[in-house]
Amino acid sequence: MYLYLPVALTSINILIPVGLGLAVGLLSGLFGVGGGFLMTPLLIMFGIPATVAAATDSNQIVAASTSGTYAHWRVGNVDFKMGLYLLIGGFIGGLFGVQAIKILKATGNADFVIKMTYVLMLGIVGTYMFIESLQSIRKAKKGDDAHISESSKESAFGRFLKALPLQTHFEKSGVTHSLLLPLIFGGFVGVLAAIMGVGGGFLMVPVMVYILRMPMHVVVGTSLFQILFNCIEVTFLQAYTNHNVDFILAALLLLGSTVGAQVGAVFGRKLKGEQLKIILAIIVLAVTVKIIFELTLSPSLLLSQAGGH
Amino acid sequence: MKDFKFQISNFKLIAALLFCSAVLLLYSSSARAELTINANHDHIKIDFFYNGSTVSVSGVSDPDVDLIVKISSADGYETLKQKGKVAGILWMNVGTLEFKEAPNFYSVHSTKNIEDMLEKGEADKYVLGYPALERHVEIIPAAKAEEKDRWFNEFLKYKESSKLYASSVGRLSAQSKAGKGLYCIKLDWPYQAPPGDYIVKVYAVKNKKVVEKAETKVFVEQVGIVKRLSGMAKDSGALYGIISIIAALGAGFGVSLIFRKGGGAH
Repeated sequence: MYLYLPVALTSINILIPVGLGLAVGLLSGLFGVGGGFLMTPLLIMFGIPATVAAATDSNQIVAASTSGTYAHWRVGNVDFKMGLYLLIGGFIGGLFGVQAIKILKATGNADFVIKMTYVLMLGIVGTYMFIESLQSIRKAKKGDDAHISESSKESAFGRFLKALPLQTHFEKSGVTHSLLLPLIFGGFVGVLAAIMGVGGGFLMVPVMVYILRMPMHVVVGTSLFQILFNCIEVTFLQAYTNHNVDFILAALLLLGSTVGAQVGAVFGRKLKGEQLKIILAIIVLAVTVKIIFELTLSPSLLLSQAGGH
Repeated sequence: MKDFKFQISNFKLIAALLFCSAVLLLYSSSARAELTINANHDHIKIDFFYNGSTVSVSGVSDPDVDLIVKISSADGYETLKQKGKVAGILWMNVGTLEFKEAPNFYSVHSTKNIEDMLEKGEADKYVLGYPALERHVEIIPAAKAEEKDRWFNEFLKYKESSKLYASSVGRLSAQSKAGKGLYCIKLDWPYQAPPGDYIVKVYAVKNKKVVEKAETKVFVEQVGIVKRLSGMAKDSGALYGIISIIAALGAGFGVSLIFRKGGGAH
């Protein structure tokens, strides 16, 4: 059955957005990512204008991340305190990122910088996560000795972090950090996410795992919590300033994604932290390869709609 | 009294019949048939379940003319992102191109190849066919002719891929009957065509000149929920945004509660 989308001004078979929502929602519940880096290009592929695809996806993520956050919160896997500081950092970073985009556009090579940042970030994060989780899976097989040597290796960086002012304990995550840490790294992700025009979940997850040293399951819940607030803000701004949110499309997507997020959260609990990390790493690397192909193969159309990135 | 009324209505009937016969006689005895055009579906309503439509354009013409049917929206301008190679290997957006005097929708169908049946000047005057459209459209910045040609072809590819441009030769069928030409073409109306007025014109061509033309309109309009939602998205963006967010939050919580009740979370 086809439905007409009043803002995208196009007609779509309802099975497409519901199916896409289900698949991306599943990943969202599993890994704590919004999935914009997968959903937006897929929607464009199915004929949704690029600007509407990105804006509508953020509306849909509000539903999926509500569903996912709730599922993770019920089993105590959301660190609200950490989420809040990351959120504040991310918000401030986003403001800087938007200014950076304006400057880049004025210099005329915005697209090059955006694409390169995207490929590099995805590539670095994917590779690092893949290698690290592979190593920890191997170490876990050998026994616990490896963990001790690992923690003594990183003590230099650890000492530096401990020396920072405003140390506070994050109970849910079981870690003690300076308040500056989530603010700075949240801000860093915020700048990059605004430049790339994505939510930044795939960057925030590794930051929480490797820099903030939070347990993977709490990372997923906390990431979803802060994605929820980011996407509320983005949806409002998109609807208010660009009139790009297609409510019907969002409704079809969230039919699938809210259910997918719940199922993902259930599956996630059955998998180990390392297993989750390595699957996410593979997905991130697959997206990197896809973008590299897109950049190097001759496109079928050399013109596309202006607006957005 | 009753008889009198009956007589009056009888008289009206007879008068109407006589008038029609006279018109028909005049019509059939005239040497040339006046060009007419009719679109069977001239008011397309975009409702919630809209997935495009079909429009048949038909009419009467002189039997010995060639015909061109053109459906187009008003000339406008469009800014499109332009892909190019960077550093020799990477395809990315390298700038924008502006297409001026280009209709958003352009669908042209003829009985024969337009360039064979029509003088270039005539084709340009009425903007008939892609080559005439290329001469009509201004592309900024594309100063050189070969640049313009290249990007116009890319523009056609882009427009045809979204079904907004179409052209055909021979699909417009014409036949003569009782000294008159009857023409007809059935077109798929794409759902990608946005709401608005579309001018449908038919041109009769003889000796490489347009000798007659006629026009009608297709009006595409959003109705019902579609109209209300798109109006709201445009006119009250803040309220629309807030409703979209609340609905998404509600759906997220709603599904969570269903899963909780169903015991799916454990």
